[in-house]
Amino acid sequence: MIQFENVGFRYKRGPEVLQNVDLEIPAGSFQFITGESGAGKSSLLRLLYLDSMPTAGRISLFGRDVTTLTRDEIAWFRRRIGVVFQDFRLLDHLSAAENVALPLTVAGVREAAYRDNVTEMLQWVGLGDKMEVRPPELSGGEKQRVAIARAVVASPDIILADEPTGSVDPAMAERIMALFVEMNRLGKTVLFASHDLAMIEQYKLPITTLRGGTVASGKRASGRGAAA
Amino acid sequence: MSAIRSKGALIPFQAASGGLMILIVAAMAFLACFALAGALGTTRIASTWTEGLAGAATVRIDANEDDRARRTSLVLDILRDTEGIADARALSERDVADLLTPWFGGTPDLGELPAPGIVAVTLDIENEPDPTVVQARLDGAGAGAVYDDHGRWRGKAARAARAIGNLSWWALGLTALAIAASVFLVISIAMVAHKGTIEALRLAGAEDRFVANLYQKRFFWLGALGGLIGSGFALAAFVGLDALSSVRSALPMIDAPYYWPIAWLAIILACALVAVLAARLAVLATLRRRG
Ligand SMILES: Nc1ncnc2c1ncn2[C@@H]1O[C@H](COP(=O)(O)OP(=O)(O)OP(=O)(O)O)[C@@H](O)[C@H]1O
Ligand SMILES: [Mg+2]
Repeated sequence: MIQFENVGFRYKRGPEVLQNVDLEIPAGSFQFITGESGAGKSSLLRLLYLDSMPTAGRISLFGRDVTTLTRDEIAWFRRRIGVVFQDFRLLDHLSAAENVALPLTVAGVREAAYRDNVTEMLQWVGLGDKMEVRPPELSGGEKQRVAIARAVVASPDIILADEPTGSVDPAMAERIMALFVEMNRLGKTVLFASHDLAMIEQYKLPITTLRGGTVASGKRASGRGAAA
Repeated sequence: MSAIRSKGALIPFQAASGGLMILIVAAMAFLACFALAGALGTTRIASTWTEGLAGAATVRIDANEDDRARRTSLVLDILRDTEGIADARALSERDVADLLTPWFGGTPDLGELPAPGIVAVTLDIENEPDPTVVQARLDGAGAGAVYDDHGRWRGKAARAARAIGNLSWWALGLTALAIAASVFLVISIAMVAHKGTIEALRLAGAEDRFVANLYQKRFFWLGALGGLIGSGFALAAFVGLDALSSVRSALPMIDAPYYWPIAWLAIILACALVAVLAARLAVLATLRRRG
């Protein structure tokens, strides 16, 4: 499903922020990505949502070398990937509900078909009463929850979550973790980047640690959804 | 529960730039209407003139000689005997007076005036005679008459009308080009402001054509509205010109009322279509350039 072979990546003329990354993430697995700030977690996810192409090595996604994808194919692949961005990337001129519905809207789904789904998602993250509110009037944690709802609403095959619990209180963090575990139980592949080692070690799930742009360790756990 | 979205607001378009776009399209549509009237009008004038003048000729018999009656019948005999001439008829003094009226005002008394004798000639359109041959025959008989099949005038007028017509089509094309260029420019600028939104749409899985459609939809309406306003003003101008009815014949479209709704609709649709096409090209080009 996701395969990194000796992947290197640099931003424009900058230094390599990822080097020699080998990674294999089978379909349906749950993988934590950890490492200190600047280790390259977000950069690695960026390669997976096809915002950048590797500058060395090879990434294979859904059985395709990502560098061979056309612009349309990139769009179609992204519909199978839900992303919670570290900086949320919500559209300020749209309501919370419209933001959550975005992946469905761009895929051409009619509002009548997704209305209940969007409402349910927002209620799940505790924002049932903020559907019409625009992001500038939401708190950081509320924005993060809108971003999470948007990432999972279209039921994508892969969920990439970049520090998705960074702005919420512990109770909500637990609720959000439960959501991702549930999505994984439904067969989704989940990549969860976080530097909060204390939190992720509570879950008996595989952890990949990045250090200075390279994979420092790929600890494997025996828990549910572990890599086969 | 309430509706989640009011369609069409995915990209936060600026009302001001929309107003500007409408203004540009309206101005261009206004000019396009005159170009179109010019193009259609001169084409018609050219064909009216050439067709109207074709098939007819005149022979002018010098006025200042006293045997005019004799020479007139001589001319008639020669003409009727010439191949390619269907009919020749001497105009009465009354007819000539009528012809001269516009130049003299009132009814001229030809008794006081050395008016020329005029023979109206109907030509066989399929087989018009060579004017130099006819002239030679008249000269040979000493008729003192000048044969004129309006050939020179016909050619010049038709050429002039056609040249103006061609220029009008070019002017029409240029207005379309100007609309397209303005749309291109406005969209290029707008897409800088919309960069974050477009990126979010792309990351959510939108294809380039989805993004292009959002712009196309908006620019269709801006184009149509601009076209409606511009051509509306042009229509008002035409009606105003029509009221000064002396220009009637210069704008032959006015003589054919069935043209109006069709031409009007065509201008509006053309504005919308040009705007849509330019919008699509501009968006796709910008997205590809950004990569
Ligand atoms: N857009 C960018 N342009 C240039 N360099 C960048 C860009 N984004 C990140 N970097 C650099 O890439 C390196 C890795 O950054 P990255 O965001 O992947 O780290 P991270 O592990 O996600 O950190 P954090 O835990 O703080 O989110 C850093 O040195 C950073 O300076
Ligand atoms: Mg990061």
